[in-house]
Amino acid sequence: MLVTVVSALVATIALAALVGQAVRGSRTVDAQLVTRSVHDATVDNAFYDCIDVQARSLVGPSQTVTLGGNNLADVISMIKGFGAWATVADPPSRADVVLTLHVGVAAPETCLGTRVVGTYRGPDGRTTVRLGTGAQVAGQGPPPAPPL
Amino acid sequence: MSTVIATTAAISALAAAGALPVLATVGLRWVSVTLAPLAGALAAALAATASLTFGGPLMSWFVALTALGAATVFGLWVVRPDLGPRHAFPGRAAGALHRVAGIVGFLMVIGACAWSLRGLRSPTVGFDARALWVMRPGWFLQSHPQLLIDLKARNLVLTQTAYPPLVSASVAVAWKITGIHSARLGVTTVAVLNACALATAALALVECGREMAGRLRRSWVPMAAGIISAVLVIVVAAGVTEPFLTNGYADPLWSLAAVGAVAFGLQLGDGPSARAAAVVLILVAGTTKDEGFVTAVALVVLVAARSIGWDGLRGQRKRWAAPVTVGVAELAVLLWWPTMMRVIGARGASSTFTIRTDLARRTTATVHGMSPYLHILVLALPLAVVGGLILTGVRRRSGIGNDLWAWAALVVGMGAVGAVLVASKSQIGPWILSTVHRITEFPILEAWWIVAVWAVVGAAGFVGPIEEAAAWPTAADFDSPEATAAPVADPVAVSA
Repeated sequence: MLVTVVSALVATIALAALVGQAVRGSRTVDAQLVTRSVHDATVDNAFYDCIDVQARSLVGPSQTVTLGGNNLADVISMIKGFGAWATVADPPSRADVVLTLHVGVAAPETCLGTRVVGTYRGPDGRTTVRLGTGAQVAGQGPPPAPPL
Repeated sequence: MSTVIATTAAISALAAAGALPVLATVGLRWVSVTLAPLAGALAAALAATASLTFGGPLMSWFVALTALGAATVFGLWVVRPDLGPRHAFPGRAAGALHRVAGIVGFLMVIGACAWSLRGLRSPTVGFDARALWVMRPGWFLQSHPQLLIDLKARNLVLTQTAYPPLVSASVAVAWKITGIHSARLGVTTVAVLNACALATAALALVECGREMAGRLRRSWVPMAAGIISAVLVIVVAAGVTEPFLTNGYADPLWSLAAVGAVAFGLQLGDGPSARAAAVVLILVAGTTKDEGFVTAVALVVLVAARSIGWDGLRGQRKRWAAPVTVGVAELAVLLWWPTMMRVIGARGASSTFTIRTDLARRTTATVHGMSPYLHILVLALPLAVVGGLILTGVRRRSGIGNDLWAWAALVVGMGAVGAVLVASKSQIGPWILSTVHRITEFPILEAWWIVAVWAVVGAAGFVGPIEEAAAWPTAADFDSPEATAAPVADPVAVSA
């Protein structure tokens, strides 16, 4: 008799708790689909697609690169944007192209105000600077931060 | 090619790679369907590690390992036909209701998992996913010398690139097969692998109900409880792991695989089929992320200890051989990648630990950081105590493992991750703030799984047992040759 009563109690409590948490869990999933979240994700994707395209316009098929600049956030943005395909030079001084981000640019053809810049050193030691092209995202400021 | 088609192609390729080894070791069971892609992902992880160790393209290693696995399985089936894929199938001698419960349970679990992936309608790519998990696949597809540069170059700053390879290697296979090198395909591939791990852990609950049903008067009650609990656990788990379930992070995969490993390795009947499923899941957890690695090592020890049991400790040396051999092989696989990271001097390979820092302050910060996420323990613990005191007999009769094994896994897994936080030299505050909600996923999910098992046990205890002799066999019974040779009577007929 005790086993039957306790069994019923345990099963009821456990199932009730699971149902309650399942309702909460379902709401958590639905929260990913609100307009604001989808918009932020779309802007985030557009930003990184944009700097990817701009970087491709600056780097030839067999060219090695190094990620320049002293700002850690910029280096991470570049890794996120085009780290998957860029051929990183080691040591960095041997790179054919030094890629950096210029942030806060007001001109058009930027990715939310950020532009990829390539610096090339010729055989004669002269440096050439080119600006990334081929994509833009209107607006200013970094993309909305996704959850960590 | 659309993302849906590309993801389907990628998961099909992974499933094809893992199917034969899973069929040979786990058998022709519903859970093999969800385990096959995970085993394929494991093959991709091993291919990435082999590529790093010996050189050669990742895809060549992936194909070679798949072919080697298939050849080994076919060779085994030719030499030992009795070890064919149906050898560990517990449902073949059971009643029609038992089989129907398996089909219904499988379909409902798959449906619930698919529904839980609706977060993919948002095109989110997580921060770490874009910076690491779905960026590194590109490195795995570059040349061997370039891969070494990518992993070692100090100016690439990210130390997390030394993390285990499974997620990135699976995405690399997806990219190579489809020709689509996009973060979005990476996210969707990882999300489906997450769903496979979640479905596997949930199917263990369906199995749990079916195992209990064979020894009860109204056998449909625990089977229904198993199916309902499995579906609810899936929805709960999706809530616990979102948004990371569908944005490319690795935490849900190792956490869910570890829960499945506990289910098959420490809770279901201790037969070869369940142990094989546990091996796949342990290796998936341990080759996915560092936290999964420490948890997987703990699970290797616990599963081996359960297999050895009291009889082994009392001197039956023959009980040691298989568990110790399997455990050592698992540890060798788990240690391969981290060892290589140290050998090549990769960024982030040499984690720094110390016991000289303010351990008390770090311990307090860790406990305070974790505790808001662990309120489920307030329910699970008393439920387990009451169940353990009064329903142990019900649990033992039905062949389900002692609840203490699951708690041991929860405590050891949580303790191992907590110990890393406490002993590390990294700043504890920011670390806790940015990761604690993800690294506590395993104990949270494990606690909910424990609650769900008690729901099934409670349902079984409520309807009461039938005579032992008329009972259905458990999975463990079917793993012995004598049991497969002599099927038992249909319990539905017996109970009628």
